[in-house]
Amino acid sequence: MTPLTPAPARVHPARRAGRCLVRLLLALGAVVSLVPFLWMAIAATHSTPELFRSPPPFLPGGRLLDNLVRLQDTIGFGRVLLNSVGIAVVHTALSSLISAMCGYGLAKYRFRGRGLLLGAVLMTMMIPFQVLLVPLFQMMASVGWIDSYQAVILPFLANSFGILLMRQGFVDFPDELLESARVDGSGELRTFYQVVLPCVRPQLGALVIFTFMTQWNSFIWPLLMLNTEDKYTVPVALNTLTGLSRVDYSGLMLGSLLATLPLMALFLFFQRQFVAGLLGGAVKG
Amino acid sequence: MSTRPTRRAVLATGLAATASPLLSGCAMGGVGGGGRAPEIDGKADDKGGKVSGKITVWSWDVAAKAMKRLAGDFEQRHPGTTVDVVDIGYDNAYDKITIGLRGGTGLADVLTVEGTHMPRYIANFPAGFYDLMSLGGRYGGDFERAAWHTVTGPGGKLFALPWDIGPCALYYRTDHFRAAGVDPRSLLTWDDYVKAGIRIKKATGHKLIIQDPADKDAGIFPMLLQQQGQHYFKGGRVAVDTPAAVKALTLMKALGDEGLVAYERGWDGLVTGTKEGKAATTPTAAWWTGTLTSEMPELKGRFGVVPLPGFTADSIRTSNVGGSTLAVPAQSKNPRLAWAFIEFLLTRKDNQISMLKREGLFPAYLPALDDPHLSERQDYFDGQRTLDVFARLARNIPPVEYDKDDAKAADIMISAVTGVMLHGRDPRRALGSAAGQLARATGRKRAE
Amino acid sequence: MAAPTAPTALDRGPAPVRKPAAARGGRRRPRLAAWIFAGPAAALFALFFAYPLGASLLQSFTSEDAGTTRWVGLDQYRRMFDDPAFLKSLFNTGVILAIQVPVMIGLGLALAVLLNQSWLRFRGTWRAVYFLPAVTTLVAYAVVFQVLLKTDGGLVNQILGALGAGPVDWLNSPTWARVSLIASLTWRWTGYNAVILLAGLQAIGKEQYEAASIDGAGTVTTYLRVILPQLRPVVLFCVITSTIGTLQLFDENYVLTRGGPDDATLTPVVYLYKVGFQQLDFGYAAAIAWVVVALIAAISALQYLVFGRERRR
Repeated sequence: MTPLTPAPARVHPARRAGRCLVRLLLALGAVVSLVPFLWMAIAATHSTPELFRSPPPFLPGGRLLDNLVRLQDTIGFGRVLLNSVGIAVVHTALSSLISAMCGYGLAKYRFRGRGLLLGAVLMTMMIPFQVLLVPLFQMMASVGWIDSYQAVILPFLANSFGILLMRQGFVDFPDELLESARVDGSGELRTFYQVVLPCVRPQLGALVIFTFMTQWNSFIWPLLMLNTEDKYTVPVALNTLTGLSRVDYSGLMLGSLLATLPLMALFLFFQRQFVAGLLGGAVKG
Repeated sequence: MSTRPTRRAVLATGLAATASPLLSGCAMGGVGGGGRAPEIDGKADDKGGKVSGKITVWSWDVAAKAMKRLAGDFEQRHPGTTVDVVDIGYDNAYDKITIGLRGGTGLADVLTVEGTHMPRYIANFPAGFYDLMSLGGRYGGDFERAAWHTVTGPGGKLFALPWDIGPCALYYRTDHFRAAGVDPRSLLTWDDYVKAGIRIKKATGHKLIIQDPADKDAGIFPMLLQQQGQHYFKGGRVAVDTPAAVKALTLMKALGDEGLVAYERGWDGLVTGTKEGKAATTPTAAWWTGTLTSEMPELKGRFGVVPLPGFTADSIRTSNVGGSTLAVPAQSKNPRLAWAFIEFLLTRKDNQISMLKREGLFPAYLPALDDPHLSERQDYFDGQRTLDVFARLARNIPPVEYDKDDAKAADIMISAVTGVMLHGRDPRRALGSAAGQLARATGRKRAE
Repeated sequence: MAAPTAPTALDRGPAPVRKPAAARGGRRRPRLAAWIFAGPAAALFALFFAYPLGASLLQSFTSEDAGTTRWVGLDQYRRMFDDPAFLKSLFNTGVILAIQVPVMIGLGLALAVLLNQSWLRFRGTWRAVYFLPAVTTLVAYAVVFQVLLKTDGGLVNQILGALGAGPVDWLNSPTWARVSLIASLTWRWTGYNAVILLAGLQAIGKEQYEAASIDGAGTVTTYLRVILPQLRPVVLFCVITSTIGTLQLFDENYVLTRGGPDDATLTPVVYLYKVGFQQLDFGYAAAIAWVVVALIAAISALQYLVFGRERRR
């Protein structure tokens, strides 16, 4: 991060007190942010009946391995984790590419139907998707795609958020550069991949992370599409731990924690792009 | 619970042409489009009909476990068949079933559906299931009649076969009752029950019952209704403000007013509260035993079971909570195998008893109730023959009429019951206004 | 709540195409290329959204009974006016919009300003910690909050008890359930907004801070007079996305309370889900969905007009 004001050599006592206060407030907020995760981690190391004790346990227990083994036995956690990774990676790659291309087309070309496309993109963000589930399901069924990965991946590949985000990145790209690439005889597609795309890396990074997170946590659609336990994604598989009169809470906690870790890592590594990209690359932090 | 899929988007209608065959095909009707439930052709399995091929079965929880276990036996008896049992989880099972019925495709060959959910599916998708009457009708007398009533529809059709039921009784803490000097067998009426509760609270400090009036069933309200032989509708008319309903809600209010209710949220609240001994009794179904033994083994020897108190001293002493059925959706490509599996699972004493023993599924199939296993003493209950208590009660469960609009009614009833229990409203008036609201929402008349 | 839309797309207004190609005097841009770029997405939209959207719109004018469908015109839309559950869901949404969104944006802004202090170290870590709630899977969110907010023995009530207060019936009393929903929404989304606002703060050149401090303004004055006004577009972005998120609210209140008790946390989308998937009244559900669309469009446009007029640049 660029220092916003030059750091003074000596810190004034009043200012030091102010800084302590800031740190204290931040720490307090961080505790509030983290407590549920800590409890999740603790719960993952206990058996379900232990969790129902009063007061509930506040220290780690010794059942972590038991829970892990049971998670593997009951829902094949390793397998569904792989499914989730595969689906999220393929979906993210395709979706990001398609959104970037569409965003570029919208930003740099004028064509019939362009305004309509943009308006429609905005409008769709407003409809509650629950109401689209039945017709979408019928479509998937009519082409025999129920219980297939393409049915999970394809319908939501074109993503209005991504398109808007990328379009905004491309709008600021200087037209003069495009023109000179054209004068040099570079094809439109080649110009896009070699000249334009590298310049919007922050937006692309944000898009990739965001798409991955959304797909990773997506639940209802994969649940409706997938009918074979071997094909389940992590959220769908974890859902089967909730029975009619019996819930495997410690398994749920461990599974959710393990499912959240990759996202945490992803954000920690790419947060700079993520944040910068969301705001159109204006941040130089 | 749900997370949304990625953002969705749309394109101009100019491109909608691609989808127009679909639009004309099924945009309006969904599935069913009127029609009747088809019948399954061919002979029944045990009459020389041979089955083959593969079926998929959807279920959840211990039910899925039981079927996975017995599917192997079935396949051995019927070479050339494959039965694939899939655990679809309980929380969103009906989303999958609903969308599959509505889409006309995508469902398994055998579906687990709770009895209370059948009527709305039958009413909305009359052609959505196979009519099993010609194959399964002969078992009519073998199944508990209230459960049988939930799976039969208009025109003498049979839309499913009952699997397990939830005959109700009163689970009580032997130590709390002893400490207060109350004999559980003396609780003949709900009035006795309230009085005993006051004594127990005074003597031990424990409340009488754990309730969540805001849960999906509005607490014990439907159980009390069924005990008196009705549910939310009677003859298709709104019946939520009948004298029976007023009696039920007045009882619940009395429990609240006397400070005998421990308000706990949902299923977890009930389990935790029971584990902590918050309440001296739990009026509920036989499957509660499974929860007690698995979640609170340390309370072994502290519970007993007696029939439910009645609304009068000589009235019916039980009700029903829960219980599921197995149905074959009309879109199944192998209904004969589906039926053969259902028949194998549900109309054989040995299988029913093994599911009772191992998964705690209380059979709706009455011949199984004569099995010696049911008269065994139960260690957990300090040697009491608890299964026998339930088996006797099971034959007296009053059949009630479930309705396609029960879900609507339940939503409205939750408001009425919470209004009475948490905000002190008058039961009669709360039910009266709920009845009016329900009548408006469903376009029904109110029962006299 | 909603995922973000690109902020700049909203705060800069629609479709800023530079110049028509012809006016530029360069080579004519092939129309084919435009479709190569926009084509795949457009085709996917056409394939997977045009039909569902059209179908749901048609459906909102129909009613189904026993497998037969009738055209009922605007009846489903009329039903909403005297449906107490629907009206209550609108009221609840209004309460959340009026209380939760301002509180969350305010907290997010404060957090962003704290995190923006130049001397603060490990800013990346702080930011990740605050962002964490937004990436939690819903399953975990549901269970954790149910346990934290349990009336007896829940962590929150135990802390209150230690301080000599409570216990509070967090999820069973209509009023407290609303409070719980607002608090848990704020927990989940404050950090998310703070991260975006922080990025906005950092986009403001350091000259601005320096100029203000040369003029003798203190830190607080600098922020109030100089920095915050420049942050307006980013704040607007957060407000609009949070508003859309609130109007589409489903996840949090569905998993916490299923919209109860006594419909105190019912929102239109939870209601339409219940109406469609549980009561199998698909026509009515579709009508509710389109009313939600209209509301979002109207409110977003209004916010844009009222707060977005003075745009940066």
